[in-house]
Amino acid sequence: MDSAKRLYETTFIVNASLDDPQVDAVITRVQDTITKNGGSIASVNKWGRKRLSYPINKKTNGFYVNLEFEAPGTLLAPLERSFQLDELVLRHLTILLDHRAIKARAAAAARAAAAPAEPAPPVTTREPLFKEPEEEPKA
Amino acid sequence: MRPPTNQRNQRRTRRERDNQTPRKKRTCRFCDAKEVYIDYKDEKRLGRFVTEQGKIIPKRITGTCARHQRQLVQAIKRARHLALLPFVSDSIR
Repeated sequence: MDSAKRLYETTFIVNASLDDPQVDAVITRVQDTITKNGGSIASVNKWGRKRLSYPINKKTNGFYVNLEFEAPGTLLAPLERSFQLDELVLRHLTILLDHRAIKARAAAAARAAAAPAEPAPPVTTREPLFKEPEEEPKA
Repeated sequence: MRPPTNQRNQRRTRRERDNQTPRKKRTCRFCDAKEVYIDYKDEKRLGRFVTEQGKIIPKRITGTCARHQRQLVQAIKRARHLALLPFVSDSIR
């Protein structure tokens, strides 16, 4: 069953005090470990610098990156190890996308595909209970 | 001390009246929205199911169904690991 590929998702936090090229270098390094171990990248989402809810390694900000990839299960051990050895990665989380997640992902993709085709639904604003008196033109 | 008989009777009538107007039934918000997957990345949404202290609100308060509560708990814990949600809020620490 080693050859069976499954869809995974990994999110990791890179030290935000680095410059953008250095962050990109970390990301490409992670991508390389995935591709070298028989995986293929499905998508890369950079969420950018965000404030952490609590300090990690005395840092209050982090650069969040989210990767989706298809890979055999044998990839995970080396990937986790590379994350642990990398001092620039503050946190990481790799999860298997189950059938529910894949369904939700497909629905989101369908919505995204449909959105540009048809104009966005008009924003319905509720009628204010008290209408502001319109400004009277001053003579 | 036992209340006088007439007061006990009053209490029973009040209980009966309360039973006639049952509390509004809460429904699972995720079922209403036909949600299939609760995403840990959706921190704003998850934040609504967490107290100010950062504790997960029990389903008897929010009305979430058992299936979705399980998924929700999973998602909140993942979000906490990635520092998207606090374990304990700043005001307590």
